[in-house]
Amino acid sequence: MAMSTVTLSVHVDEIEKLFREHNRALIAFLQCRLSSLSDAQEVAQEAYLRVLTMDNREDIDSLRSYLFKVAGNLAIDRLRKRKVRSDFAAAQASDEPMGEATPVHHAMAVQQVAGIRHALRELPAKTSQAFVMHVIEGRDFGAVAQTMNLSERMVRYHVSNALAHCRARVDEKEMP
Amino acid sequence: MATSKQNDILHVAADWWVRLRAPDANDDTVDQWLAWTQEDARHLETFERVSDLASRLGTLDQVSRQSLIQAFARPSARQRRWLPLAAAASVAVALLSGGLYLGWMRLVPGITTQVYNSAIAQNRDFTLSDGTKVALGAASTMTTQFGRNQRRIELKDGEAFFQVVHDNSRPFVVAAGDIAVRDIGTAFDVRRTGERVTIVVTQGRVEISDVNQKPGQTQRGTLEVSAGQMVSYDPNASGMTVGSMTPEQATAWRSDRLEFIDEPLAVVIANLNRYSPRPLHIADTDLDKLSYTGSIRTDAIDSWLGALPQVFPLRVNEKAGGVTLSDAEHPSRR
Repeated sequence: MAMSTVTLSVHVDEIEKLFREHNRALIAFLQCRLSSLSDAQEVAQEAYLRVLTMDNREDIDSLRSYLFKVAGNLAIDRLRKRKVRSDFAAAQASDEPMGEATPVHHAMAVQQVAGIRHALRELPAKTSQAFVMHVIEGRDFGAVAQTMNLSERMVRYHVSNALAHCRARVDEKEMP
Repeated sequence: MATSKQNDILHVAADWWVRLRAPDANDDTVDQWLAWTQEDARHLETFERVSDLASRLGTLDQVSRQSLIQAFARPSARQRRWLPLAAAASVAVALLSGGLYLGWMRLVPGITTQVYNSAIAQNRDFTLSDGTKVALGAASTMTTQFGRNQRRIELKDGEAFFQVVHDNSRPFVVAAGDIAVRDIGTAFDVRRTGERVTIVVTQGRVEISDVNQKPGQTQRGTLEVSAGQMVSYDPNASGMTVGSMTPEQATAWRSDRLEFIDEPLAVVIANLNRYSPRPLHIADTDLDKLSYTGSIRTDAIDSWLGALPQVFPLRVNEKAGGVTLSDAEHPSRR
């Protein structure tokens, strides 16, 4: 414990600076990976804690790269835990809540869901299919590619297009 | 143009969102992304909005989630539109053999048939011989065929709300176009607009099936739907979609209010025509598909029509004895 207190004082200023300059990007990065803002905030906190309490500061070139690397790994762990939980729940055929590893589900306003439905109808069938399978159903790019008999690159292309299109349509409604 | 620049940023942001989630994303990917976010304040802001929308869509409520998956992620949904719902936690799907299903539909001799209809702007409440309470909407027609082994209703047009007296030995089945609704101890609303059918369960559960069997299909699915759920069927669009509607919304028409969630304007107008003393008519077919969500007082249709041009790009013209809705873009019609 004494060790870590000593180390802490060495780079605490650096971490404050890191937080000021990159916290927003870190949260955005984690939200992208985890599809959940509250999970992103939790993981970010844990990542700062890991960086704060590390004892090999002198071995690290860029503290920022290290922070994002730690955060990325924590995100992967969390996704893995979620998958284990949901597989377990599926195997048990139980519809009990799956605990803290699963992000909270939110009811979107009926109008908003309808807006998304309309936006998706404006797209080619494959584009909206890839998007719904990945973003809404939560299947990874590889699984979507296999089901649709497409390359992963094409799946990513479709998902990206549909996401930009839906965001633009939602924006039109929110700020006409 | 600023908007086209904004649109470019949006596409780049969506690309980054995809790249960062890909399994091959590494430290370099993250560094490049960070560099991009620092180029322009709008970059990170746009990325956040893209990511936020994706998060919200990734954590949708079960009913919305399933309805979108069914509508878009199942390409063969038209041929087997019941099956994809098997995954839904809130919707149980059971397969029945064709034979059992036909059993409900076969006409048995010795059935008493009765026709009920209602005039424009007139709802009717009555009780059937089995004690089932029916509220029939305006300008609606239904027939009942009650036999020893079954109670069969056909909704030919319009809307009806049923509070069914359950009887295991005599199933209660409402047919509306391609759709048959079978009660499992229930109150439910059925609205038929041409071939489009909407069912809302306000209490208990029903089984819904597609009667229009296609050649070569040997099995048929039934969809079990429970209180608070809404099923819309449109043979010309995506088939079945599952959504939600409260009992109050579903039966609002009984207190002179029509509720619509994401319905094409053509369907809204067809239903208003059951209540409007003056016929309403859509002149331009491109208006048919405009989607309407909201409630309309059947005793104040005129004021709704007056406000409509503020919501949709259309014009309202009164003509002798009728009202015409036309595209605001088109030159005026005679």
